[in-house]
Amino acid sequence: MTKKRGLGVGSMFYGIGYGFNRADIGSAYIEMADDGTTTVYSGACDMGQGIMTVVAQVAAEVVGANIDTIRVVAADTTSTPDAGPTSGSRATFVQGIAVHEAASDLHDQLMQTAAGMFECEKDELEAHNGDVYLKDANSPIASLAEVAARVHLLGGRCASWGWHDNSTADVDPATSQGDAYASYGWASQLAEVEVDTETGHVKVLKIVSATDAGKAINPVAVEGQIQGGAAMGVGYALYEQHILDEGVPRTDSLAFYLVPTSMDVPEIQCEIVEVYDPKGPFGAKGIAEPATVPTTPAILNAIYDAIGIRITDTPATPERVFQAIQEARARGEFKD
Amino acid sequence: MAQPENATSAAQSGPYDWIGSSVPKVDALDKALGITQYVGDMQMPGMLHARIRWSGVPHAIIRGIDTSEAVKVPGVRAVLTAGDIPGINRYGLAVQDQRVLADDKVRTAADPVALVAADTEQAAEEAITKIKLDLEPLRPILSIEDALDPTAPSIHESGNLFTRTTVRKGDLDQGVKESDVIVEETYRTHLMDHMAMETESSLAYMDPTGVLTIITSTQYPYRDRRQIAPALNLSMNKVRVVQAPIGGGFGRKDDITSEIHAGLLALKTQRPVRLVYTRRDSLIANTKRHPMLMKFRTGARSDGRLTFVDADIYGDTGAYLSLGAFVIKKAGIHACGPYDVPNIRVDTHTLYTNNLSSGAMRGFGVLQAAVAHESQMDQLAHRLGISPIDIRLINTLKPGLATGTGQVMDEGCGIEATVLRIKEYMESHDLRFTRS
Amino acid sequence: MEHYSLKINGHVYETGAEPFESLLDVLREKLRLTGSKKGCDEGECGSCTVLLDGKPVLSCILMVSDVRDREVLTVEGLPQGGEPHPIQVEMTERGGIQCGYCTPGIIMSAYALLQENPRPSEDEIRFAIAGNICRCTGYSKIVEALQAAAGTPIR
Ligand code: FES
Ligand code: FES
Repeated sequence: MTKKRGLGVGSMFYGIGYGFNRADIGSAYIEMADDGTTTVYSGACDMGQGIMTVVAQVAAEVVGANIDTIRVVAADTTSTPDAGPTSGSRATFVQGIAVHEAASDLHDQLMQTAAGMFECEKDELEAHNGDVYLKDANSPIASLAEVAARVHLLGGRCASWGWHDNSTADVDPATSQGDAYASYGWASQLAEVEVDTETGHVKVLKIVSATDAGKAINPVAVEGQIQGGAAMGVGYALYEQHILDEGVPRTDSLAFYLVPTSMDVPEIQCEIVEVYDPKGPFGAKGIAEPATVPTTPAILNAIYDAIGIRITDTPATPERVFQAIQEARARGEFKD
Repeated sequence: MAQPENATSAAQSGPYDWIGSSVPKVDALDKALGITQYVGDMQMPGMLHARIRWSGVPHAIIRGIDTSEAVKVPGVRAVLTAGDIPGINRYGLAVQDQRVLADDKVRTAADPVALVAADTEQAAEEAITKIKLDLEPLRPILSIEDALDPTAPSIHESGNLFTRTTVRKGDLDQGVKESDVIVEETYRTHLMDHMAMETESSLAYMDPTGVLTIITSTQYPYRDRRQIAPALNLSMNKVRVVQAPIGGGFGRKDDITSEIHAGLLALKTQRPVRLVYTRRDSLIANTKRHPMLMKFRTGARSDGRLTFVDADIYGDTGAYLSLGAFVIKKAGIHACGPYDVPNIRVDTHTLYTNNLSSGAMRGFGVLQAAVAHESQMDQLAHRLGISPIDIRLINTLKPGLATGTGQVMDEGCGIEATVLRIKEYMESHDLRFTRS
Repeated sequence: MEHYSLKINGHVYETGAEPFESLLDVLREKLRLTGSKKGCDEGECGSCTVLLDGKPVLSCILMVSDVRDREVLTVEGLPQGGEPHPIQVEMTERGGIQCGYCTPGIIMSAYALLQENPRPSEDEIRFAIAGNICRCTGYSKIVEALQAAAGTPIR
């Protein structure tokens, strides 16, 4: 039998945001027009992972609007406030709170005006999906658009902003002791591989990714991060590598620098775990980086489980795995 | 709002209207229709195309740059070198060790040496090949071992060891004494590319009010502005940075990439300038994932409890720091993994070399650290005859326990839940390890 | 500079171009049909995929002079009567799109597949998009979206 199968596990934790006393802020403006449509000026860049969508969801939830009436303006030094970079798996965790804050204040302004319109206390009111209700009542008493029009007519404030500081003090310079990060992400993955002992080729058959999202604000988006992260981990573990020849890059084309295709990435089973984080928006944590970290060690451990040889240098290319097998054969330590 | 019926079972909307609901991404339909405008899709009247000439050698003194043939290529509007920079020819995320255009020395094979703006991409491409570089080669530092050699030439004034960090907890000797098994191993990880499908790109122009506007594929416009303005000798409120739709970032676009170059060319030509990296530009230039050399010694008692971690982590940040010192420090902070480890000694070393520089990349040092700590966990499990799942469950952090830096966990600590989920998955699918 | 009339998405476009210019550059820079993306310009990534007489091709390695008198279909040509094509809808709703840069190419490869093979298996779908690199999604949700568009069961 030249093909051997194995399973491996990788676990990790990941400090969300920057730590080390680096600025770690989020901020956003929010504004509702007379017709009840809302614009969020969010300084957080969306590279495709979906922070604009998370911002829209948080704003819709907190204001009580329909998500289709929310427009999110992307980062621009002229129109959006500084929300820090989108990196460190921090966007949802930090910007989510800033948007929450902005939206809560706007919601308050609207409910204050609505309370005046209906001669009640603002605490007796709530808004859902674009309508204002008396708490526990089934039918709305007004639309948010009517209330917004009223605020504008009266010259009230129908805008707000939110700001959130997630910065943490640096750890001790001599011992690194201290609260390094405001919060952590957590993940474990299982990889199943098949190693061809004649070629050294490793095929990943399956990945199961248990990622703690705290609260998945958009589960399909979370799964997308998990699957994309695992695919990148497969590439890192097995093929992708810049080759420098005396410092000069030889892998200067996609023909030489290999990234996983749809035929290389296996089924990725997403197990979203939700351990509420009191510091995140609605309990959410960052997941983008946690989703990619465990894959490579899980694959290396699975290779060991399959062939009893530990690959300590990445990537586990066919040449490297085959050579390790040959060496083990020469030592008489490998059973074909 | 349409919801795929197979969205997920993990989180239902619960008491919320929108939180926990898999609404389609707000920008997805435009992308499916092909109407989203990334920077490379944009054009402006009178727009020029830019190209960069890279150094091609890793370490050299620049004796001269001859652009006389390049400027003669028809359609070429500007050929710029370091002397054309109106402001400070330095930038960088943590320390200012990068040059907008190489001046005294070349420190990597992908140092930008000259810029061209031309009417067409072809003309710009032709012009960069006609720039002649007169370089005096220096001994390059190409490995972590080289960089640690005190007699090696210094790449920057500061020396090749940029910084060292230390994690100390408990009593290492005591930990060693209490160990029934000790695993010692060296791990090496490699240089990886982000490979976002959209390459680095910027479109720069002077707006009618005299503000230099740069539309760019970036992860942080405000920090870009902070670095662009001094290089171009503009006040920061005369620089506007706009994040365009981004075709993937993964950390690469945290750094300055094409922004200052496009801005400089727009300033000099007073024309809109679009700089879109070729795939080759993207592959050779800008930050990658740090290669690391990690020497680990980890101990455990016969019951599987970890007793100590003793590690040295060496990170090759290439010729420029970018966020390298933070990446490597973060690797050190995470070197013990999500486990309760009583005794710790971890040193990290951030080293300059003449290799391509590394910076932020999805995982930010923690990925490299996990390669080491998770391989160590597995080796301990095999030596002790404990299953890889159980050795993790025995050691995972839990509320009330502390990380390697002494941070006490609250109820948000989720590691045990993720390991248990994997365990349940294995049981329900009848999956078993071959060797334990 | 030569003159070309090109049949694209059922319309005839007139343009001047050098014969060696790639179809991709002509589409993007001359005709402003920027839906087809340039991820590599060397035939390795698939983001420039268009259909030529119904077959998927990489427009970055085709010269414009090679497509005279042939039918080109780009992502802009898929919607019918102002309605997005079902592949576009499913990709949007099932999370098949993150940064979106690979998306038009993937959609065109998928469209070509479904024209030939309306009920493909998962393996056939994966094979059909194997030349389209996606760095963001890990492909799972793309495969699901294409299964949904084809009306085949989703794993
Ligand atoms: S742009 Fe044509 S294959 Fe990449
Ligand atoms: S969605 Fe980003 S490359 Fe596919």
